[in-house]
Amino acid sequence: MAADLLRITGVSAGYIGEDVLHDAALTVAKGEVVAVIGSNGAGKTTLFRAICGLLRPSAGKVDFDGTDITGLRAHRVSRLGIAYVPAERHLFPTMTVRDNLVLGAFPKHHEPEQLDFVYRLFPRLKERTGQHAGDMSGGEQQMLAVARALMCGPRLLILDEPTTGLAPKLAAEAYAALGELRDRGLTILVAEQQVPLVLALADRGYVLEQGRIRLSGASGDLADDPEVRHAYLGVA
Amino acid sequence: MSGIGDAADRNTDGVVAGAERTFRSLGRDLVPIGAVAVLLALLPIQFHDSRSMMTVIITGLLFMAYAVAFNVIFGSTVQLFLCVGALAGIGGFSAAILSERGGIPMLVCIVIGGVLAGLVGGLLSWIAVSRSLDVIFTGVVTLAFSLSFQSIILGRRDLTGGETGIVVEAGSDTVLGGKVGAYYVLLGVVVAYLVLFRLIQRSHVGWAFRALRNDEVAAELAGVDVTRYRVYAALVGSTMLGVAGSVFAFHRGFIGPSTYAFADVDVHVLVMLVFGGIGSLLAPVLGAVVFTILDEILISFAQLRVVLYGAVIIILFLGFRRGVIPTLESAYSRWRHRGEGA
Amino acid sequence: MTAVLLDGVVLGLQFGLLGVGLTLVYGLGGVLNLAHGQVAVLGAIVIARSMDAGMSTGVSIVFGLVAVGLLGLIVDLTLMRPVYRLRGESRVLLGLLLMLGVGTLIDGVLEWRYPIEALTLRVTGDPVSILGVRMSYGSIVASAIALVVGVALFAFLRFSTFGRATRSVIQDEEGARLCGVNPAVVRSTIFVMSGVLAGVVVITRSMTAPITVTSGFGLTIMALIVAVVGGLGSVSGAFVAGILLGVVNTVSAYTIGSYATTIILLTAAAVTIVLRPSGLFGDRT
Repeated sequence: MAADLLRITGVSAGYIGEDVLHDAALTVAKGEVVAVIGSNGAGKTTLFRAICGLLRPSAGKVDFDGTDITGLRAHRVSRLGIAYVPAERHLFPTMTVRDNLVLGAFPKHHEPEQLDFVYRLFPRLKERTGQHAGDMSGGEQQMLAVARALMCGPRLLILDEPTTGLAPKLAAEAYAALGELRDRGLTILVAEQQVPLVLALADRGYVLEQGRIRLSGASGDLADDPEVRHAYLGVA
Repeated sequence: MSGIGDAADRNTDGVVAGAERTFRSLGRDLVPIGAVAVLLALLPIQFHDSRSMMTVIITGLLFMAYAVAFNVIFGSTVQLFLCVGALAGIGGFSAAILSERGGIPMLVCIVIGGVLAGLVGGLLSWIAVSRSLDVIFTGVVTLAFSLSFQSIILGRRDLTGGETGIVVEAGSDTVLGGKVGAYYVLLGVVVAYLVLFRLIQRSHVGWAFRALRNDEVAAELAGVDVTRYRVYAALVGSTMLGVAGSVFAFHRGFIGPSTYAFADVDVHVLVMLVFGGIGSLLAPVLGAVVFTILDEILISFAQLRVVLYGAVIIILFLGFRRGVIPTLESAYSRWRHRGEGA
Repeated sequence: MTAVLLDGVVLGLQFGLLGVGLTLVYGLGGVLNLAHGQVAVLGAIVIARSMDAGMSTGVSIVFGLVAVGLLGLIVDLTLMRPVYRLRGESRVLLGLLLMLGVGTLIDGVLEWRYPIEALTLRVTGDPVSILGVRMSYGSIVASAIALVVGVALFAFLRFSTFGRATRSVIQDEEGARLCGVNPAVVRSTIFVMSGVLAGVVVITRSMTAPITVTSGFGLTIMALIVAVVGGLGSVSGAFVAGILLGVVNTVSAYTIGSYATTIILLTAAAVTIVLRPSGLFGDRT
């Protein structure tokens, strides 16, 4: 309990007055990788937006390392040490790769070491450092989005479907990078539709269906669970 | 912005049933319009002796007419036409030029003035819709048009008299020549416009307008040709502006660059309509009455009037965006249903 | 003709600076500040009154710029709050109409209380010869100021942390939030800054021609045209469009006449909107 970096209890949230997410509860301990799996529309994005301050929960509590951050606005949450990589990435299209990265460290002026670290993790970004973000391929943009999120030295990294639109090789590379980050002590919460990839990396997972958490457990157990295998792994 | 649209929605189901309903509800609506007409008709009895007062109420009626027309364009289809004055000016100046230079009979001039204004307004709308211009761009383009029109008026002195304007003789020995006559003609115009507005609202065209105000995409999917209906609204509204502008030109006997200028017309019409409640039938009436009275009160503080209009715009849009009539309507409806459960 | 072109560039540099403020405020929040010119003219009147009261030019200018900044801050903190709470078309409409009200209000107040006041800044010095044309000292100073301020602004937006944050909000507001940028603070700061920039332009303009209480609306419209042609939200676009339109302005006024010039400039804006709404540089901030 004390090592819980993120704890969510009873969170409901939605749009235009109607809740899409109901009574969600999850925890992420320090140093863990936690997966959230579910099909389209299950509520994964809503959950993440509610945590990161892009959406105000209609009920419930979000606790980050002992601080109640429920309903706190996104730029505040970002400065507390939570970095969010949304599905749409939200990069700055006519700003260079470098400028995008530097902004990731806002409001602090970036440390050169952070930039070095990120370039070592994603060498392709270093090659393209002067290129406009909008001119890059999907895979490169995804890399940039993750790299930007890392620039502020976050304690918790939240990713929403990071492999969308990525070729299998790139997706595997992305998860390799996430593994390296985990090994360096970063806590990661990731939503995925590509279940095998994420369960291979994650320690624990939650299954979200129609706005509610239906299952949770160690990733190995989830991978063996017949319902999960049927619904998400295409096994009869 | 809320306040656009009216309280009692009806779905049309079948043209005949729809038409029947239209005429029955029109009957109901004619009562308030009739009441307004009667009340306004009484005013000259009080004021016919005073030339200045008659000028005031005639101007009030003119702005009422402008406001109903603007209600058709902006209230029905949310097209921010910042060129109300210019459109009325197209009507007024073309009618005046045709009459003075061409010797064409007054009524024909008025019709042509209206048609020309309608065509220009329709063209502006068509450009805006076919290029999918949003509110800001429509506003800027129409504002640019309005200011260009002003420059044309000032620049083409040979045609328009430039700064000195045009003297229009043709109206002086008609019913428009005298104050009282002109007042009742304009009152007739206003009443006709109000009836037209209501007819449109209650018809299937009005239903299409409501749909596209709420959600353009949904309206298109439901089969509403948004382009066509927007242009219709602009055509009708602009023609109304042109006719009103030319009728006024023949009455006043003189028009100049300030008669139809943005600062003199558009700002006032906007304030009047928003005050009354954009989209409401009688909003132009209420707005014109209130602000004509206010203008009179402040007659000695000429520049203060500009300050007032500026302040009123700010206050209105900050706190009172829906306007008086919709606010009253919903208060009344809440009062009527106060006993019922949630 | 060279003289006309150079005059156009002098005018254009100032137009560009005028348009930049407007385009930034729009790019950040979708608010079209139709009171841009009027707020600046209010500053000019403050300067004129201070000078009338005997204060030195330098002090008066400071007063004027501070007044403009303060007014911008007040408007932002009071009127812009409800505007930014809305989204999309409602926000745009409310912002535009509210600022129309503010502009009308300022116009009215100035014409009511100080109808004959005007600002003229006499800059003493000998004419300077550029490309064979004798330019008045006043226009040289005006251009220099506009150029310096413009370059400083450009550098600020490109290289400073806050400048980058500003551009990020224009390009992707949600992305900016996720990076820790508070869009509201950026919007307020830029709003005030845009007012002060307009104040600088009014000062430079007054070196070659008097700024009267009625100049406000005309300045707003010019800023609008420049911003639209350059591409709403684009700083470089506003500068380039400014210089271009400045030259068009002087050449046209010299050859055709002032009324036609007004129509040409307005038509340039309208044509831009209809044919290429993103303007000259709309996709680059």
